[in-house]
Amino acid sequence: MGNECVDNAVLVIPCSGIGKVHGLISREATYLVTDELAPEQTETMCLALLVKGDPGAVEAVRTHACIAIDGCAKACAEKNVQIAGGAVAKAIQVAEAFKNHRGAKPGSATMLTDEGWAITREIAGSIISEVERLRASEEVAR
Amino acid sequence: MSAEITKVGIICCSGEAIAEGTISRLATRRVLELLRPNATVTLCLPLFLAGNEGERNFAKTHPTITIDGCDKQCAKWGTEEHSGPVSAALVVTDILGTQATGCHRSSRQASQPEKEAVWAVAERIAAEVDSVMAETELRDGATAQADGAHCSCSSPIPGGKLAIAGAAVTIPGLSLIFEQCAERNIPADITGCAALLDTVKIYHRVPPDEEGEYRSALLAAYQDFRNGGKAAR
Repeated sequence: MGNECVDNAVLVIPCSGIGKVHGLISREATYLVTDELAPEQTETMCLALLVKGDPGAVEAVRTHACIAIDGCAKACAEKNVQIAGGAVAKAIQVAEAFKNHRGAKPGSATMLTDEGWAITREIAGSIISEVERLRASEEVAR
Repeated sequence: MSAEITKVGIICCSGEAIAEGTISRLATRRVLELLRPNATVTLCLPLFLAGNEGERNFAKTHPTITIDGCDKQCAKWGTEEHSGPVSAALVVTDILGTQATGCHRSSRQASQPEKEAVWAVAERIAAEVDSVMAETELRDGATAQADGAHCSCSSPIPGGKLAIAGAAVTIPGLSLIFEQCAERNIPADITGCAALLDTVKIYHRVPPDEEGEYRSALLAAYQDFRNGGKAAR
């Protein structure tokens, strides 16, 4: 596991937010997908490496389908993929998922509760649906 | 002498792709919430790199420590590119050596190796914060607020109260300290008193003439904690 991206993998790029639970949910949803649900079809990368302009990271987002998972409306993941010249096939906002869980107590910036994990699994499900759609339509690589 | 309050900014690696990135973020949170809650704030690295002017200005005017997961040092690079030299630059792999091998990037799989790695890195960051604060105070005469301060994005975790010399003393994150002690199998009896005090002294200043009272109060609170009590929670 690292920043290497295999051919035909869909890149799932989460938010780096450290202050609120939303950033943690974005990362855990990403890991559910890349490590357990679809490890052969997906990979992730460090957002900061992309923002830094690392040639390998920039090349990866330009040649692979990308799904951005952002914790807040500042949408750092989505915007930075676009700035690097990549195309965001789907942009997911963690805050949107909370609309179906009003009053939920998802945990903190460092630990999720059962409710937090339930939201995380829902988001992972959305990511998987998009990965399947991209693969079915052969949009995984550019 | 300046009366300006100095806080140390901690910018950690976002490192989503590697376990060391997760360790850097969790260790940073531990410093912010538990070890040095009154002296530190954090900044979101991609937001900082992508041009949030408010956060960039903070790093220009405050001493900043970067915590990177790997030798690519994105946090150090980004901070120095946009705000100038950092006060200290730590790299998780330098601190842990092979200790990070086998750690996971998801918190769902976190076990003892991850917990120990986070503690080790957090304590190293806290030591660096102390060093930076000491240098800043020597240079500017500035001091951090003793209370009422919190990081830019969340408040410090609640503290546990002890009765010392007839007064209530709050120790930030006492329950987490006790959790750590329990994981290290420090016994909740008289034989564990010295280890309990030593652990608390890492995070909280204990006047030498009050160590005896602290020992007794800590043991009572730790016993309560181990029995499921709420005093330290």
